[in-house]
Amino acid sequence: MSPRPALGRRLIKGAPVPHDNDSAWLLDPHRRGIPGLESMSRYRDADEVDMVIVGAGAGGGTLAQRLARRGWRIVVLESGPFWDPDRDWASDEAAQHHLYWNAPRVIGGHDPVELGKNNSGHGVGGSMIHYAGYTPRFHPSDFSTFSRDGVGADWPIGYEDLKPHYERVERELPVAGQDWPWGDPHTYPHAAHPISGAAEVAWEGARRIGVRMRVGPVAITNGVFGNRPHCIYRGFCLQGCKVNAKASPLVTHLPDAIAHGVEVRADSHVTRIELDERGRCRGVAYIHNGVEHHQRAAIVVVAGYSIETPRLLLNSAGPGFPDGLANRHDQVGRYVMVQGAPQVAGRFPETVHQYKAPPPEICSEDFYETDVSRGFARGFSIQTVGPLPIAWAEHVLADGHWGHALREYMRDYAHWTTLGLLCELLPQPENRVTLAEETDRHGLPVAHMSYSQCENDRANIAYGKEVLTRLWEAAGAQDTLSIDRYAHLVGGCRMGTDPEMSVIDADHRTWDVPNLFICDGSVMPTQGSANPALTIMALASRLADRLGQRRVDPAGPAGARHA
Amino acid sequence: MSHSYREADHLPHHRRHGDPPDPRGLPRQRVGITPQMHGRYPDFDVMAGRRHWDEVTRRALVDRVEAVPACRFFTAGEQRTLRAFLDVVLAQDDDPRIPVLEMIDAKLADGRLDGYRYENMPPDPEVWRRVAAHLDGFDSLDPDARREVVARFAEGDLVWKNLDVSRAWGVVMRGALAAFYSHPWAFNEIGFRGPAYPRGYMRRNMGPTGVDPGEPREAFGLDPVRDLRERA
Repeated sequence: MSPRPALGRRLIKGAPVPHDNDSAWLLDPHRRGIPGLESMSRYRDADEVDMVIVGAGAGGGTLAQRLARRGWRIVVLESGPFWDPDRDWASDEAAQHHLYWNAPRVIGGHDPVELGKNNSGHGVGGSMIHYAGYTPRFHPSDFSTFSRDGVGADWPIGYEDLKPHYERVERELPVAGQDWPWGDPHTYPHAAHPISGAAEVAWEGARRIGVRMRVGPVAITNGVFGNRPHCIYRGFCLQGCKVNAKASPLVTHLPDAIAHGVEVRADSHVTRIELDERGRCRGVAYIHNGVEHHQRAAIVVVAGYSIETPRLLLNSAGPGFPDGLANRHDQVGRYVMVQGAPQVAGRFPETVHQYKAPPPEICSEDFYETDVSRGFARGFSIQTVGPLPIAWAEHVLADGHWGHALREYMRDYAHWTTLGLLCELLPQPENRVTLAEETDRHGLPVAHMSYSQCENDRANIAYGKEVLTRLWEAAGAQDTLSIDRYAHLVGGCRMGTDPEMSVIDADHRTWDVPNLFICDGSVMPTQGSANPALTIMALASRLADRLGQRRVDPAGPAGARHA
Repeated sequence: MSHSYREADHLPHHRRHGDPPDPRGLPRQRVGITPQMHGRYPDFDVMAGRRHWDEVTRRALVDRVEAVPACRFFTAGEQRTLRAFLDVVLAQDDDPRIPVLEMIDAKLADGRLDGYRYENMPPDPEVWRRVAAHLDGFDSLDPDARREVVARFAEGDLVWKNLDVSRAWGVVMRGALAAFYSHPWAFNEIGFRGPAYPRGYMRRNMGPTGVDPGEPREAFGLDPVRDLRERA
């Protein structure tokens, strides 16, 4: 499988295309799986590869693609399967349950966060296989909420560090949307998708209460993009895109990574990171087909997301690290975050069929930044969501209906449309991932996630729900139904400038082990009100630049900047 | 008289005590099957579109309707109790019923769980067993008493040893709804076109012009009461 020559693409006029990622051209227009897997590079466990990456999601997939282009020899170990959407996926809500991390986890705290289908992926492509497709950037203010607003934390990097990578990843996905007026105003490579009647009524309600809406930003092709088809508006984004229109690493980065020598070894569950006698990583232990293997590597990158990354570090305790690897200062697993994501649905005289079209249609970031008059710090964004029948039933149930009342609201499905919030909940040290007593099928302790809201969080969510209710009233809704829930996961191994207050430095290197890096959503010190996928990819893209240009030296100590 | 559902007076929030109208006032299903054979789309059968679906999806949905295994997880006593309970929470008071209990049983027997449990709760299969034990005798109650028990369960207004009642309600209802609203008969009832691959949608606007080929129109040109009387 030879990548199509880049020259040919440069001659084509139209939407901008990436210059250094052929993924969309390597795919087959009539089949969904990655072609040519039988000729994928294979490394032996005893080979010391340049890098082993744990997790084939947004962070791991992007990092592998970038460094493979620079000639690095990379193995990506993924706990879940290597998806072939034609073979493995159905266009159905219940049949797609295998996309989620369904192995046991324990949740607690005052406001426990339900995991599984809500926020946890399993398999090549990670959680981006089942995310809605929203890909907003963070705002510049997100990187310094502590200095600006006295809450959260300041990142050791700023928006300007990520901006070129946002632009680059937006071309690769590609992102479709209107010109974006919020944060750092910018445009998108693909035009906005047409919107549905369900989104139109929401738009009109927003207009009447003075809230600006924009279409997008969604990582769904809207026009020609290599061999990836146009969206067919079937509405099953959260069940895995059988069309290959929605972006995930499975279609945006791994085809190119594999063409450049990366091996993605699926069904390979990493159980511990192994150190040599000098306190450096030697590689990882993993289980494949019930047999333990050891992959050697010069650099180990953990990219298992906010629950499994801390869990792997904690399960890798050993001499020198009795409380878990890279956990000398008890920071691993702390400051894990979710966004408050209540949804309010409105009922209209006409049918609006909210299940048609991708759930992510329109969005407002008018309430994103702190407004002291609201009585709390930071804010929220407003987005359309399009619950399919099971999710809609959970929504109706949450409003207090069962039996005949539930069935009546369900029969009314076609008349309803739903808006959701993403409220920026603040990072707190006691919101954390630890090890439970319970063990998984490999005999390893599973993760325990404790989560409690603070006063600012509650005020934010309450205010946002009021805005949604006002919006639906203004739109002429005849009835509303609401549900409280959470969305997304970030934090747990945050980056910082102080080894006692963070797990990694600005170059994603753990403070305690010089050749151990973390590259996923867990590194974020704050979360903003933006869906995290694009930022995870942009962070990985930046890390790849720094590693590839030798601006960070895996032999030297953490925190030493060569830029 | 044709009925269009432009008004919202049938919705529980707009009715006294939140009581929905009697579903026997709805038209009877003329094509395909809905649970209890009533619904708003009497001429819609989602399975009629099966020839347009991809093979993997078709197999998943056809099996869901035609290949329902017998219970392996629940005991005979648990089945009696839970079947009666599920009939109330899903308002399945007559045949044809979606075999929700069998669908839940299959998931529990196969260990297909949801990826988390609350720290004060046992794993879901054990929650189901304990709920069944606490509801023991439910199937011998009269209909009003059954609804009363369910109402208190839903409100968390029961004291059960070894079980957080509110969390247990969440676990069993999550299972019940995931089963019921995955079934094509429920799609028929609510007018959901179901699998939309490889054929997606072309019409997404509001109102009657937003209805796609193969998708049902809600407004039906008959009086539901007369229809019922004639077909009874």
